[in-house]
Amino acid sequence: MECLNCGTKLQQGDICPNCGMDVSVYKKIMHMSNFYYNEGLAKANVRDFTGAIESLKKSLYFNKKNIVARNVLGLVYFEMGETVSALSEWVISKNFRAERNPADKYLRELQKNPGQLEAINQTIKKYNQAIAYCQEGSEDMAIIQLKKVISMNSKMVRAHQLLALLYMKEGKYENAAKYLKAAEQIDVNNTTTMRYQKELREQMKNVKHKKEDKISYQSGNDTIIQPSHVFREHSITSMVINLLVGVAIGVAITCFLVVPSIRHNMVSDKKAEINEANSTVTTKEQTITSLKSQVKDLKKEAEKAKKEKEASAQRLTSYSKVIEAYAAYIKEDTQTATAALEQVKTEDLDETTKAIYDQTNTELQTKMMDTWYAEGTKAYNSYDYQNAVANLQQVVNVDEQYGEGYALYYLAQSLRRTENLEKALPYYQRVVELYPGSERARTAQMYLDQNPGAAGSTGGSMGSDAESTVTETETMTNTN
Amino acid sequence: MIDFEEELKKYKPSPEVEEAEETIRNHDMTDMTDILLEMMQQSRNEKRR
Repeated sequence: MECLNCGTKLQQGDICPNCGMDVSVYKKIMHMSNFYYNEGLAKANVRDFTGAIESLKKSLYFNKKNIVARNVLGLVYFEMGETVSALSEWVISKNFRAERNPADKYLRELQKNPGQLEAINQTIKKYNQAIAYCQEGSEDMAIIQLKKVISMNSKMVRAHQLLALLYMKEGKYENAAKYLKAAEQIDVNNTTTMRYQKELREQMKNVKHKKEDKISYQSGNDTIIQPSHVFREHSITSMVINLLVGVAIGVAITCFLVVPSIRHNMVSDKKAEINEANSTVTTKEQTITSLKSQVKDLKKEAEKAKKEKEASAQRLTSYSKVIEAYAAYIKEDTQTATAALEQVKTEDLDETTKAIYDQTNTELQTKMMDTWYAEGTKAYNSYDYQNAVANLQQVVNVDEQYGEGYALYYLAQSLRRTENLEKALPYYQRVVELYPGSERARTAQMYLDQNPGAAGSTGGSMGSDAESTVTETETMTNTN
Repeated sequence: MIDFEEELKKYKPSPEVEEAEETIRNHDMTDMTDILLEMMQQSRNEKRR
């Protein structure tokens, strides 16, 4: 036992050894809680569940943290078919003590079997439906539902009691007695069961008295009841007359009472069957809806997992391509490095790898530009203008001012010399704009003046005139 | 003699498993220890005054 003020473990005395508080009242409260727990346990052991619940509730009223009392209360509820109340007690118990608590085991046992939990819930729903039928006055339907409830959960005391009550109301005392006995076997001292049994005994006594005043016998499917002390005539004529009258009455009863009654019973039975079928259909529909929802959720999850897998594969590819590009770059295999880098998606990379990617890409680009420019100028000097265009075009696409604008200028020259004057003119224009006053600008301007408005029709002859001028005036310069 | 109509009215719907949370929330958790603590607190407050 711990002090309620400071939490120190208490000794035999009434004073807390740590904070000096008087704990005599607190100790009495704890003793009372334990006393009622013991009482409740003793009652539960002899199946006096009503008494046990009362004692255990008292125990918890004194000490709500009495874990054993709360767990036993849950077990008693569970034994009486009150599963939700049992669950509530165990959850509260677990909340008070999370470690080494038997309630944890009880809850796990229930959660481990979702089918059992679903069956319990279905039982409760049917029980509630039976109550609704009672309120609507459909007592025959309520009886059907309650029979189902008891077949699914034979421990549910309240269902037994309600069914017995309905049978008593209908005058079916033997059935009522059967269900009250079952309820008594589950919970021996239940006051409601005992009250109903007392009522049942009185009702049956009255019926017995009435029976003694009558003579009843079976005639086919009918029970014939007649007073025991009646005047009887024994002459043959009166016997015949009585016989005829009896036959006439019998025919009349058959026509006006028995046949409609049989029809009415058949209609009632059919109605009950239809209601039962409807109930089954509703349950199945609920199950189907639930399963459909599960399938939908699983499909979504599968799709999400597939997307994540694809994204992971893409991310992995990007990383491997960065590594491949870096390895190729180290070996100075620029083509492989460039090809690898082109396949990288930068959004897949983390910051460190992105920095490696950027550095490799920048260095590679610089190297490629140098290579293209060297190849281009070499081709230009060897009069291989097609090749020169191919290489210099790549340089200019990235940086038009590369090599102080010589790449741009030689590209224009190469294009002009491959009979592509129209394509060359915009590059000449850029040379004039970027490097005004240079020899290149003057030459470019000359070609622009010779081809005003980029007229393709005159380009050929003018180009050939200009060519001699350029070859004379320009000296090839490789800045790199 | 039981009044069947009145007796039937005493039967209330049982809470379903989905309603267990609500049942726990509505559970009155006050015990004698809480009352004792409250009384001690009141006594301390009065002494301070």
